[in-house]
Order: sequence, then structure tokens, then C-alpha cells
Amino acid sequence: MYRGREGQWAFYLHRISGLGILVFLMLHVANIASAMWGPEVSNALMGFYHQPVFQVGLLLLVAGVLYHGFNGLRIILMDFTAWGVRYQRQLWYGVWVLFVIFYLPFLVKIGGGILGGGHGD
Amino acid sequence: MAIKSKRYEEARLEASTNLELYWWVFMRISGVVLVFLLIGHMWMNAVMTDLNSINYDYVAKRLSQTTWKIYDLLILALGLLHGANGLRYVLDDWIRNPARRFWTKVVLYSLIAFLFFLGSLSLFNHDFGVN
Repeated sequence: MYRGREGQWAFYLHRISGLGILVFLMLHVANIASAMWGPEVSNALMGFYHQPVFQVGLLLLVAGVLYHGFNGLRIILMDFTAWGVRYQRQLWYGVWVLFVIFYLPFLVKIGGGILGGGHGD
Repeated sequence: MAIKSKRYEEARLEASTNLELYWWVFMRISGVVLVFLLIGHMWMNAVMTDLNSINYDYVAKRLSQTTWKIYDLLILALGLLHGANGLRYVLDDWIRNPARRFWTKVVLYSLIAFLFFLGSLSLFNHDFGVN
């Protein structure tokens, strides 16, 4: 279908980011659900996730969601238009343009938080 | 088997069952909805808010509003279904042994069902006690 190159990379990255997002979603639901055991438990768990190492993970997660989402739109264009498959390579570079535009604010805000300190206790 | 086609017409021909075709369509529709929901969710919590200030009170205040409960429930339901079906494609591709594939699916689907239950409980059945 793709014979390697960009299409193959797009596919691998889509899978890996998808699996990563699912693992995060599971941890995230468990984390938020901890509120049912009261503020102490909930705040302790959320404080734990405020450590810089998890914020780096979050930067990766945001990147994963943005890539998976925009590449998903690329897949939909390929599925439902007459020209999508023909321009799948160009569309992939379009995905990266959108990615950079949307990722920058997150990179500045979360990255600034990591470098600026003041996280957790 | 999962559908490999890139075009709707081909997907329809390739689908072994109607159910498989519905999942193929569901992935596209839920995907489009999730892109917008998740960019909004991340923007609100990571760009507009200082991540490190997120605690019990922040979650309680947001979830005291029905709009956000529904917003988050949509993410929870669509995200888990989209993720579970995506995981099914991956397991069908990667686990060749039928018995092992079956039991992996049993465990993972149960985990996902449990998380949907847990997430809905904390969204709708938990009183966060906001004054």
C-alpha cells in the first residue's frame, strides 16, 4: 500500500501514539477517580504526578495526542476523498505543520513550568 | 478481521461482517469528535491553567458544572471505545496464538469496562462538596 517511506512512518507513529494515549487515559481516569476517596488521597496522588518527570511525560503525551489527531484527519481525507491517497505524502507534511502550530503553546507553557521550578512539594 | 482498506467503498467490500464495517465508520466519526474535545481539554488544563495548581478543589469546581460533566463523559466514552477498538486491531496483528489473543482481550476489555464504570461514577455519582 505505502511501500515504506512517509506512509509507513505515519502508520507506525499512529499506532505507537494511540497505544501511549490509551495507557495514559487509564492512569488518568484512575487518578481523577481517586477524588472519591476524599481530598487527602486525591491531592497526594495529584501532587505525586506534579513531579517534573511526569511533566516531561505530559509533553510527550500532548505531542502524541496532536499527532494522532491530525494524522487521523489525514486518514479520513484518504478514506473519503477521491484525491486523498494520491497526496498522502503531502498531507503527512501538512500534519506536521499543524502539529508545530498547536504544539508550541504547550511546549512553552509546560516546558516553562518544568524549567521554572515551583512544581509540587 | 480488521479492515485494511483506505476507501469507504473498498472497506464495505472488505468488511467480513456489518459489525466490522460499523467499527470502521465509528473510528472515523469518534476520531473527528475527539480531536476537538481533546485539544479543548488539553488547552484548558495545560495552557490556560498552571498544571501544578491542579488539585482536588480545581477538579471539584470544574465538575460541579453539568456542561463539563457531559464534556468529560463524552471524552471518557468515545476515548475508551476508540482506544479499545484500536487496541483490538493491534492485538489481532501482533498476537498470533489464538488462545493467548483471546485471554489478552478478555483481560484488557475487562479493564476498560471497569475504567468506564469508575470514571462515570466519579463524574456523576460523586459529590465533590463544592460550596
